Amino acid sequence: MTRPDITDHSAHDETEELLPWYAKGQLDQADRTRVDAHLLSCAHCRQQLDFERRLILQFHAIVPEVESGWARLRDRIESPAPIRAFRPKRPGPLTEAWAFLTRPAVAALAAAQLAFVLVAGATLVSLGQPAYHTLGSAQVPAAGNVIVIFRADATELDIRNALRSAGASLVDGPTPANAYLLHVAPARRQVALKKLQADDNVQLAQPIDGADL
Amino acid sequence: MSWPGTFISPRAEIKGSPKADDRELLTLVAGGDLAAFERLYRIYQPRLTRFLTTLLSRPHLIEEVLDDTMMVVWQSAGSFRGSSKPSTWIFAIAYRKARKAQAKWLDPVEDPEPDARVSSDRSPELEIGQQQLRSALLNAMERLSFDHRAVIDLTYFHDMGYREIAEIVGCPRDTVKTRMFHARRCLRQAMSGSLADWI
Repeated sequence: MTRPDITDHSAHDETEELLPWYAKGQLDQADRTRVDAHLLSCAHCRQQLDFERRLILQFHAIVPEVESGWARLRDRIESPAPIRAFRPKRPGPLTEAWAFLTRPAVAALAAAQLAFVLVAGATLVSLGQPAYHTLGSAQVPAAGNVIVIFRADATELDIRNALRSAGASLVDGPTPANAYLLHVAPARRQVALKKLQADDNVQLAQPIDGADL
Repeated sequence: MSWPGTFISPRAEIKGSPKADDRELLTLVAGGDLAAFERLYRIYQPRLTRFLTTLLSRPHLIEEVLDDTMMVVWQSAGSFRGSSKPSTWIFAIAYRKARKAQAKWLDPVEDPEPDARVSSDRSPELEIGQQQLRSALLNAMERLSFDHRAVIDLTYFHDMGYREIAEIVGCPRDTVKTRMFHARRCLRQAMSGSLADWI
């Protein structure tokens, strides 16, 4: 910083840069001697030093939240197997994937998806069994593209109204998981799904081939 | 950065720790002494938490980087040759880990020209209490770059000279001085409204 009352700009600039460490007592003897000498002749730097000391006081009056983190880590360190408080080595991809999957929100989502996969799988397996069709059945049933589970207290009228409202026809079911396979026109499956999902009597309604969702 | 502004000495957390020579502890840790590692951990956890809180803004990231740093200490204590102070070695690990974590997870809050930034809109006439002063200071800190925050923290909170800081952040000493100069100018500008109360 150039000031009109400063003749030795080199010493002045150096002092300005060193003031924080001078104020903290962290300069070696040689640096401190040069700063001392300049301060004797530079009112501006003396003022800056005063500012610096006030700044340091303000900073020291503010500390981050250490206690909570410390308590957490202390508990881990003082556990029966303290070494387990730390990861013994960098986690591999599988470990990281598992850590991600076991996060509460992710785990809940994964559980819901797993439940759906199980229901859909059970449905498809059961529907693949020929016991529901007679040997003389010549007509190939329409392919199911929606799976639905109605609430346990839904009446036959409720189910019928839900199917009609969605424009869906029953392809098969109930499965052992009490799911039904429905067929809706592919072009209006989105609309049908929304209607089914909005129906109070429907517990679950999902596409099963994921083609257009 | 989430600093609540409590008023205790920054050294208060360390006072209760047993006096120990960090070099001796590191030697023991290199030999797999878990008790020595625990002592070292207790000494450095508050200091590193403070440092990482200045550098990073997300609590879970601070904990993660802290644990990663201490894991490196645990696993690599044998590679410490004693050419620098143990604190320099450990803080350098923390700095590198924090920089890597920030680059990976956070949008950097970089201020490439902190000295060119104008002062805040705080009015000189405004009566600012100590709490407001500190709040303004913290806000100004948050607007500094990662590297400027690191130099400020190591200087003001950890009593480190510019030579040691240069070792930790891996840059020339003059760069440390320049960063400190710009960071202070930035803070001064942010505090300009209350300057009359200071000086």
